[in-house]
Amino acid sequence: MTAGYTGKILRINLTHGSKSIIDTEQYEEFGGGHGIGSAIFWDLCQDKAISGYDPRNVITIMPGPNAGTCIPGGNRMELCGVGTFAYPVEWFTRSNIGGFFSSMLKFAGWDGIVIEGKASKPVWINIIDDKVIIEDATGLWGQLVNTAQAEIWRRVTGRDSFGEWLPLGDKQTTQGPSILCIGPGGENLSRLGTIQSGIGVSSSEGGLGGVWGSKNLKAISVLGTGSIKIADPVALIATRNWANALIGQKPAPVPNGRQVSCAGCFWKCKSRTQSGAYQDGMCLRGFYLTDPLPDGRTASDIYSLYGFNMNELAGVSLTDGVYVDKLYKMGVLGPGKPIDSSPVPFEKFGSAEYAESLCKAMANREGIGADLTEGLMRASAKWGRLEQDLASGLLHKAHWGYSWHWSLPNVEQPFSSMVSEREIVEHIFTSPRNGSILGSPEFMKMPAEKLVDMLSKKVIPYTNDPFMFDYNWQEPDGSNMKQALETGIYSEHKAKFVAWHRHYSRFYIQSVLYCDYICPCWFDPQAENWSGLTPEFETRFFNAVTGKNLSFAEGIEKGRKIWNTDRAIWVLQGRHRNMENLAPFMFTPAGSSVKTIDFRPPPAPGQIESPADDNPEGPPPLLPGAAPQAVYKNGQWASVAQANMYLDKAGVEQWKTHYYKFEGWDVETGWPTRNTLEELGLRKVADTLQKAGKLGKAK
Amino acid sequence: MVNKSPGVKALPLAEGYLLVDSKKCQGCLSCMMVCSMVHEGSICLSLSRIQVMQNILKKWPEDIKIVQCRQCANPLCVKACPTGALYVDTANGNIRVIDEAKCNGCKKCITACPFLPQRIVWNPETGKALKCDLCLNTPYWKEKGGPSGKQACVEICPQQVIKFTRKAPKQQGDGGYDLELSEEIVK
Repeated sequence: MTAGYTGKILRINLTHGSKSIIDTEQYEEFGGGHGIGSAIFWDLCQDKAISGYDPRNVITIMPGPNAGTCIPGGNRMELCGVGTFAYPVEWFTRSNIGGFFSSMLKFAGWDGIVIEGKASKPVWINIIDDKVIIEDATGLWGQLVNTAQAEIWRRVTGRDSFGEWLPLGDKQTTQGPSILCIGPGGENLSRLGTIQSGIGVSSSEGGLGGVWGSKNLKAISVLGTGSIKIADPVALIATRNWANALIGQKPAPVPNGRQVSCAGCFWKCKSRTQSGAYQDGMCLRGFYLTDPLPDGRTASDIYSLYGFNMNELAGVSLTDGVYVDKLYKMGVLGPGKPIDSSPVPFEKFGSAEYAESLCKAMANREGIGADLTEGLMRASAKWGRLEQDLASGLLHKAHWGYSWHWSLPNVEQPFSSMVSEREIVEHIFTSPRNGSILGSPEFMKMPAEKLVDMLSKKVIPYTNDPFMFDYNWQEPDGSNMKQALETGIYSEHKAKFVAWHRHYSRFYIQSVLYCDYICPCWFDPQAENWSGLTPEFETRFFNAVTGKNLSFAEGIEKGRKIWNTDRAIWVLQGRHRNMENLAPFMFTPAGSSVKTIDFRPPPAPGQIESPADDNPEGPPPLLPGAAPQAVYKNGQWASVAQANMYLDKAGVEQWKTHYYKFEGWDVETGWPTRNTLEELGLRKVADTLQKAGKLGKAK
Repeated sequence: MVNKSPGVKALPLAEGYLLVDSKKCQGCLSCMMVCSMVHEGSICLSLSRIQVMQNILKKWPEDIKIVQCRQCANPLCVKACPTGALYVDTANGNIRVIDEAKCNGCKKCITACPFLPQRIVWNPETGKALKCDLCLNTPYWKEKGGPSGKQACVEICPQQVIKFTRKAPKQQGDGGYDLELSEEIVK
C-alpha cells in the first residue's frame, strides 16, 4: 500500500443496505478525489445519461493523499456524481469541500466512500473506524444542519461535547465525529441543496444535496482513530516549513473570537465568534457580510442552516445578485403580479425575515418557493422570461445556469466553464493577476512583460509561450480582432492555456486536492521576481507523503486523463460542440458587467460603496477595481484595464476549434477520438463511446 | 529546585513546560499531526501527546480546548509506575518521560493522571503508554528536541499558541497552563 493512502474505499448500496470494499490500488493512478471518483463512476454507473435523482446515480466522496496530513490547503475533498443543478442537462459534476471530514475519513481507514441506490426510508451512515452502520434517521430528517449534527454527535459519542477520552474498543479518541449533512433543502430535492459540514463549510455547487435527499441520505458521520503512513516525515515537515516561511500568514486578532482553518492548514481564512454569527464563513459568504442590505450576515447563516446554495441565492437575495429584486421592482413579480411572490415578503427584501421565509418556501415548495428551489434558470423558463433575460443580462448566468463567480475580463474562466459542466469557481485562476490573494497590490504594479515571462515558465509542459497570457480582444469597434485571433483571447495560445488550466485543476486541485486559495501559487511577495511556489509546491508535498517521484508534467498528464474521462461521461450524457455556448449577454457590453475583484481594503459591513444602478432592467452594475491584464500590442507588452471586455461569436467559435484540436477531440463534435483516449490508457472508454456512436472522428 | 509539596516525596521540578492559549487556537490540528509524526513516523490523532478537542458547532470559546502534559511538580504518573518506565529524566531537565522498553502496559500511569482527558496516551498497537517528552526522542525529525531544544508542536503552530517555558506554571487549576500568552509569561 502506498503511503498517504489507506488502501480501501467504502462502497455502500443504500437499496440493499450492503457494504463492501474497493481496493484503492486499482484506481490509485488517478491520484484521489475527483480522479478516483470519475473512474469509479465510469465503472459503476452503467447508464450515465440518468437524472441526478435516479437511484442508479453513483456518488463518490473522496479525499486525496494529502488528507490527514499537515499540508497547507491539503485537507479538502471532492464530491462527484450526476448533479441536479446544471441547465439544461443535469451533467455529471463535482463539488469541493474543506473542513475536517476528509482527514477523519482517512484516520478511520478509508480513502473514500461510494454511495449507490436509494434507502427505503431516511438514514444516516455511522462510520467508526472499520465499523459501518446504516442508521435510522428518525429524529434527524427535517432538522436544520446544526441541530441534526449536534444530535449525531450525541448519538455517536454519548455526550454533547468533549473533555475525556472516548473508548472505542481497544482504541480511544478525544475527538468528536466529523459530519456531512443535508438540510431541509436537500431533503426536499431542491436543486440548490447543499451538503454542509458544521455550519459554514459546504459543498454547494451542482445540487448534490438534492441527490442525497433523493437517496434518503441525511448525513454521514465518521470518527477515526487510525494512522496515516507518511513516506518521508522529515521531508514533509521541511516542505511545510519552507511553504510557511514564504506564504504563511501571521495571526490576526478576532474580536470575541478566533481565526479558524481547515485541518492541517497554516492559513486562517475563517473565523468563529462568541455570537456564532457567520460561523466558519468563507468566500461567497463574504459578499453577504459586506452587503449593504440590513441582514446580509444573518441571511447567510440562515441559508447555511437550511442547506441552500448561497451562490445561487445571491441571485435572489443580494444587491448585486438582483434578478428577482429587479423583477419585483419592474412590477413583474410581487403579490398578485404575473409572477406571484407569495408567500415570500419581497417588500422585506434583504432582511432576515425575508431570508427565513424564502428558505421555508423553497424547502416546502410553497408558492414562488416551488419555482425558486428549481434554480433561477428553470424558474425563469417557467415564467417565460429565460430568453429575453439571458439576452439582456438581467439573468446573469453565462454557462450551464450557474451563477456568476468569476468571469470577464478573465476570459479563461468562461471558456473553461463552457467546456466544463459548471462554473468552475477556481479562485486563483480567475486570472493570473487578479486571482492571487498573495499580496495582490504589489503584483498590480508588476510590469506586463515580466509578468508573462514569469507565468510562462510555470505552465509546464507548455512553457515559454507568453501569449497564453495575452488578453487582446476585439475592442468595442472591432479594430483589434486580428490581434485577438492571432495572440489574444481567441488564439490557439489561449486554447493551450485553458487546456493546461483544466488538466492542472483536475489533478492537483481536485484529485490530489490542494486548496484553490493556495494553488497554483503564481506569486510569492517575498521571492525575487515575485515568483511563486508553483510548480515546486505541488510535487514536493505529494512526493513527501506518498514516496513517489512524480514530476509536475506527469501530474498534468494525469489531469488530462481525468479530464478526458469526464469528457466521455458528458458525451454520453449528450454533450456536443453545438451545446458549448455562452449566454447571449456575454456578446454585448453587458458581458463585462461583473463584480470584479477590488483590492482596496474591505469596507465595514454596511459601508460598501454600491455603484449607481442606472439600468434597472439590465445586468448588475460594474464595481470598480478591475485589475489590468497583460496585452501585447505593437511589439511590446502593456498592462491594460479591460473591465469593459465582451466576446465575439466568431472569435469564440475559432477558440473552440483551437481548443478541441489541442485536446485531440473531433472539432466538429467536440468528442474525444480513439487515438486521444488510447494514448491516455482509456481504451475501454473509447470502446464505450464507439458503441454509443459517439467517438470523435480522427482528422 | 525541588517540589516541596507537603507529604509527598520530593522530586525535582521539570525544567520545561508547554503553555497553550486555547482561546486563540485555530483548530487546524497541525500540532497533533506533527506530534504523532515526529515520534511514530505516521500521523494519528489518537497517538498525539497534545490533544486539541474541537466541536465546530459550538461558539467561541467553547468550541476548542487544548490539553497537554503538565510535567507536574507532583507527577502521580511517575509514582504509579510499577516498573520505573515512567521516570524523571535528570539528564534532560527533569522532564517526566517513558522508557517504552520498560513499560509493561499496566495503564496505572493513565489511571493516576488526575486530569481529564488523561495526558498519558495509550497506544493499542504496541500495548504501551506514551507521553509528551518535549520532543526529546523524535526519530522522524531532524531538529534537536527536549527541554534544551525545540518542540515540534511549538514550531508548527501557525497561530503561535503553543509556547515552551522553563518557568514552572501555577499548578492549581488550568490557568497556569492555558492562558493568554505573552513574551513575559513565556520567559
